[in-house]
Amino acid sequence: MLTVKQNNNALGIVFPNSYDNTVPELVTERLMASIPFAGRYRLIDFVLSSMANSGIDNVSVVVRKNYHSLMDHLGTGAAWDLARRHGGLNIVPPFAEKEVKIYNGRVDALNSILTFLEHQKEQYAILTDTNQVANIDYKAVIAEHVKSGADISVLYQNTEVPEGLKNNDNYTLVLEGTQVKEVLFNDFREGKQNLCMNVYVMERKTLIRLVKDATTRGMIYFERDILAHNVNVMDVRAIEYTGYVARICDMKSYFDENMKLIHEANLDALFPAKQPVYTKVRDDNPTRYLPGSKVNSSLVADGCHIEGTVQNCVLFRGVVVKKGAVVKNCVLMQDTVVEADAKVEYIVTDKNVRITAGKTLTGAESFPVYVAKNHTV
Amino acid sequence: MAKEIVAMILAGGRGSRLYALTQKTAKPAVSFGGKYSIVDFPLSNCVNSNIDTVGIATQYQPQKLNEYIGNGQPWDLDRLYGGVHTLPPYEQAKGTDWYKGTANAIYQNIGFIEQYDPEYVIILSGDQICKQDYADFLNFHKEKNAEFSVAVMEVPWEDASRFGLMVADENDKITEFQEKPPVPKSNLASMGIYIFNWDILKKYLEEDEADPNSSNDFGNNVIPALLRDNRRMYAYHFSGYWRDVGTIDSLWSANMEVLDPENSGIDLFDENWKIYSRTPVMPCQKIGPQAVVQDSLITEGCKIYGTVKHSVLSAGVVVEAGAVVEDAVIMEGAVVKAGAVVKKSIIAQKVVVEAGAKVGGEGSVAHVGEGLTIGAGATVKEGAKVYESVKEGEEVC
Repeated sequence: MLTVKQNNNALGIVFPNSYDNTVPELVTERLMASIPFAGRYRLIDFVLSSMANSGIDNVSVVVRKNYHSLMDHLGTGAAWDLARRHGGLNIVPPFAEKEVKIYNGRVDALNSILTFLEHQKEQYAILTDTNQVANIDYKAVIAEHVKSGADISVLYQNTEVPEGLKNNDNYTLVLEGTQVKEVLFNDFREGKQNLCMNVYVMERKTLIRLVKDATTRGMIYFERDILAHNVNVMDVRAIEYTGYVARICDMKSYFDENMKLIHEANLDALFPAKQPVYTKVRDDNPTRYLPGSKVNSSLVADGCHIEGTVQNCVLFRGVVVKKGAVVKNCVLMQDTVVEADAKVEYIVTDKNVRITAGKTLTGAESFPVYVAKNHTV
Repeated sequence: MAKEIVAMILAGGRGSRLYALTQKTAKPAVSFGGKYSIVDFPLSNCVNSNIDTVGIATQYQPQKLNEYIGNGQPWDLDRLYGGVHTLPPYEQAKGTDWYKGTANAIYQNIGFIEQYDPEYVIILSGDQICKQDYADFLNFHKEKNAEFSVAVMEVPWEDASRFGLMVADENDKITEFQEKPPVPKSNLASMGIYIFNWDILKKYLEEDEADPNSSNDFGNNVIPALLRDNRRMYAYHFSGYWRDVGTIDSLWSANMEVLDPENSGIDLFDENWKIYSRTPVMPCQKIGPQAVVQDSLITEGCKIYGTVKHSVLSAGVVVEAGAVVEDAVIMEGAVVKAGAVVKKSIIAQKVVVEAGAKVGGEGSVAHVGEGLTIGAGATVKEGAKVYESVKEGEEVC
């Protein structure tokens, strides 16, 4: 039996556009992977950091569209220690043949990197999306996969199917022990289900074989066309993930998952000291709290300048709250400015939004108001 | 391929007037302003002035500084040719020596400088907080056709005798140098920042080394030798923010001045002259429900549940509920537990101030060395220098 002695025996494949359709507001000028989160991160930081911390240093990000912001964010990959002579970060844009092909499903995307995959040395491959924020020890996941002897291992969470994913590409697993007996598509049942996290581990050669086979049959969806079809002929096992997960699948969940991190127990669960989360450094100065500022129950990034009142908020890097301004229950993305005496509650501002002096803007807890990038209110 | 200018940062000094703060750390690696180290200032100034080749002469407790500098990536000094290099003393064929003085630290690195065949060498100090455009200084040096230039600051006449003073004529040509004179003839204090033509510097370093009576110091030996030989020497006037942070009081004051950039002139928030640093990898700062945070600088990884006023906190500092931090500088990873009070102090990295302990007061600045514990209910009086952990209930003066 094999054991993963060297933890660099696996390569990572990341699908940064998956579930873009669930947050149309946030992806007009970006993709899922580059959505800002938790004050100073982008969603992909969690996947890349987990991989880097698990010794996976050969990571391919197979992009589909709207990836300028992601390219800018990732750079050489040095921030995640992924600027490496061998392997490292590999951003794979759609390959332009006669006409630009934009892949449809995961299989199509994988097919576009098949030659690359054939030339790699790692024995295992781990596949993931970016809309689930978690700090996963992939090393342990791979070890469990190897120990079980499964052909494919699927990571799942025992949880309710979130609203945003009902009728929107959710997959749940019917299990017998750890054996996957059936994969259900768009499960609508109430209560806790074995929700597939779309994280898969298998041998690299198995992946290549499955992708080739599916492509010749014209199949494009990994879960529906490969996983569901093969549960009876291959050994497909489930691995339960019990750690902290923030799942972004609509505007409401985006707001809620940011706000949840204000609670220290959640913050510590997502950011354990031994599994740091890396991101692109912006060289901000420390946050300056001016005399008269009143800040409570908030998560604040560096580079902010706070003179007003901030309660129960997540402030991203470089946010300015001027004198007399009151900000409650808000998520303000980087470089948002709330001018003097403005009052805002339950709003989500995208980058570089300006709320002008004296304005009032209020959403509701069930429906936070979203202000798009670079807008002035 | 030659470089026009190479910068050399003198960072070998022990910093003994920082007492407990430099027991395990060289002075240039001491933290400042929440997320910086002192050495970030000369390094960032170099980068912002288009100087991409920097040697850092290290000697005392170099490990942390070496690790901090690393490959120079945070300052954009990871370069194919040039970049930043730490330069400890090393064994040579003709013998081994510690750096005997400031001039000797450069003398021992003549080989490093020669690799780049520079026209000019700028000598910087690793213990000053200053935002200075060295490109402007270099232009002055070239315009004056100088062989040696020194950056000077006007100081009040009554303080002048505490400094090394340059006496200069109306064209800024230096005619005399006075080291801490009882009767000053000038109020132009040397900042310890020099530009030399490399051929001149090399010649004088070699002559200085050959002189067995020399203390191998720029101020005491090299500059007087240049004057004696009537070299073309000029004084470059600098009027921005400049602080030597070599003492507990000056380090504390400079940190407090960062809180008031409008009046103090040290603006760390200037987009056009950023100070770069190696950033710790930590999530956002968390401000708790009952926290009071005013007039302070707080950075990533901090968790604030108590009261923080007029203070500078580095990454990962925890202030528990009911604790009070006022007029204090608290370095990375320190914890101030419930009900503890810290006033007018510098608390070094990873110090734990246990519940109900009191550190500092209204008078002179107290400080606590790295990794120490101040036991529950203990008292550290104002101005105390704490080198060892303080037991529960004890009092230290």
